[in-house]
Amino acid sequence: MDPTIALFLAQDGVTNGAIYALLALSLVLVFTITRVIFIPQGEFVAYGALTLAAFETGTFPGTAWLALILGTAAFTVDLARDRAARTPRRALRGLALDVLLPLALLAAAWHAAPRHLGPLVEVPLTLAIVAVLGPYIYRLVFRPLAESPVLVLLIAAVGVHLALVGLGLLFFGAEGHRTAPLLDANWTVGPALVTGQSVVVMGVTGGLILALWGFFGHTLTGKALRATAVNRLGARLVGIPTSAAGAMALGLAALLGALSGVLIAPVTTVFYDTGFVTGLKGFVAAIIGGLISYPLGAAAAILVGLVEAFASFFASTFKEVIVFTIIIPVLLWRSLRSPHAEDEE
Amino acid sequence: MSGPTLALRDVCVSYGKIEAVRGVSLEVDAGRIVTVVGANGAGKTTLLNAAMGVLPASGSMLFRGRSIADDPIEARVTAGLSLVAEKRELFGTMSVEDNLRLGAYTRPRGERPGDTLDQVYTLFPRLKERRGQAAGTLSGGERQMLAMGRALMAKPAVLMLDEPSLGLAPRIVREILHLVAELRATGVAILLVEQNARAALRIADYGYVMETGTVTLQGPAAALANDPRVIESYLGAAESAA
Repeated sequence: MDPTIALFLAQDGVTNGAIYALLALSLVLVFTITRVIFIPQGEFVAYGALTLAAFETGTFPGTAWLALILGTAAFTVDLARDRAARTPRRALRGLALDVLLPLALLAAAWHAAPRHLGPLVEVPLTLAIVAVLGPYIYRLVFRPLAESPVLVLLIAAVGVHLALVGLGLLFFGAEGHRTAPLLDANWTVGPALVTGQSVVVMGVTGGLILALWGFFGHTLTGKALRATAVNRLGARLVGIPTSAAGAMALGLAALLGALSGVLIAPVTTVFYDTGFVTGLKGFVAAIIGGLISYPLGAAAAILVGLVEAFASFFASTFKEVIVFTIIIPVLLWRSLRSPHAEDEE
Repeated sequence: MSGPTLALRDVCVSYGKIEAVRGVSLEVDAGRIVTVVGANGAGKTTLLNAAMGVLPASGSMLFRGRSIADDPIEARVTAGLSLVAEKRELFGTMSVEDNLRLGAYTRPRGERPGDTLDQVYTLFPRLKERRGQAAGTLSGGERQMLAMGRALMAKPAVLMLDEPSLGLAPRIVREILHLVAELRATGVAILLVEQNARAALRIADYGYVMETGTVTLQGPAAALANDPRVIESYLGAAESAA
């Protein structure tokens, strides 16, 4: 291997690692706030990539229907179950956010699909359509289980994963798709060729990590979300609506997932079920961070990306095996260091 | 405002088949300290948790004449109830100041929490010294102060304190209870639950004695403190504890 190849692999690894970092951050975010090990995170990646690909090919993405159906269902369930949701103010707000918003997105998608309006319109629309799925899924699936043990939540998460993969096949078919590069340019820096795509990926990821850091560290809403994660009863006692915190966490996770999908779509062919393996790599990174540490999770994600890139050069058949094997020494080390089982119930 | 700030009528709470609180009625007025004393397991903490909405309960609960019995915790906080829980329930990994600022979470967004924060720091100067420190690193007394300060950040009309003296050294207990007595002057209605009956009755205006889920005695705090039945059951043995 000469330095040029090494640099190329490193660039590739860091670029993929940046995307795994977004996924790891989402998993940590969802777990700390809701205690859900969020298996379906990868589906948001696939939905993001494939929704954008649908716009590029001029077809209407089925995810827009899903958003409307889930939103309407969440609204109906709220009305049926929660008396407080039936006050005129709350009902109107619910109607606007759960029915009219996805309806507007559906109309926008309907309008945009055949017209090829370009990434400036299609990317935000894609992100919006996928991001709203997060809160709806939380309210329909996880809020009724909010007090359940982690294992029950995990099983529900697996259920959501299976349902979303199936729906993905229904919406997008079995074929894989790739989208046009977001920034079609290359630069030669010394011996290395830097692609526009990797610059976009690293820039967006870096920016998002900074934005999340600012949000959680410096805004009252962000601190309230953290407080919910630290002490759920304490959060309720100061009046933080903890179920809104859960919906917000899944909304952010869906947004980050969709964004990861938009970022990988130009370099990887994405199938309806690609999200799972991509999500698992983010999961490996999140586990290395103990599911609670954002910086450790992000750093581990870059490591996962680099290992994957070099593994695919030296032993491409064992690429996935090598990546997932990293988790074993980490788990051993963690369990030796903290002998207590992580069972809170 | 006529009538009590908080009125509970025939409140019952059960854990499965066990009735922990059976038909308790009590009232708290603005600017008054009402204490509920009784042995461990008498249902005092359960009663407070029911009043805050942490536990489901039957019976009526009126806050300023309006029923809050169906409101979730968050709505009760917004209405003006605050509970300082027995276990404090602080945000351990977050700073003292963040804990306090989150206490004002339900205040209108336009309001500047800085003034309330200054008041809390005036009341608890030690919290100001430790403002940047993680809440989990505080001593027991400081944690209790932080829990009270955080509750006060919501500018409550009713402040419910669950065993504020629990696990604290006698000197700190005196300091905390002295602060509770001072808070009365701000016009807040205080509902104080204590095992340390002697100390609680000393600062309270009115008292209730709970035994196995029901109120067995009630009256002005000074009268209760001199009641032979109370002295025999709750004060006699506590001679050196307060």
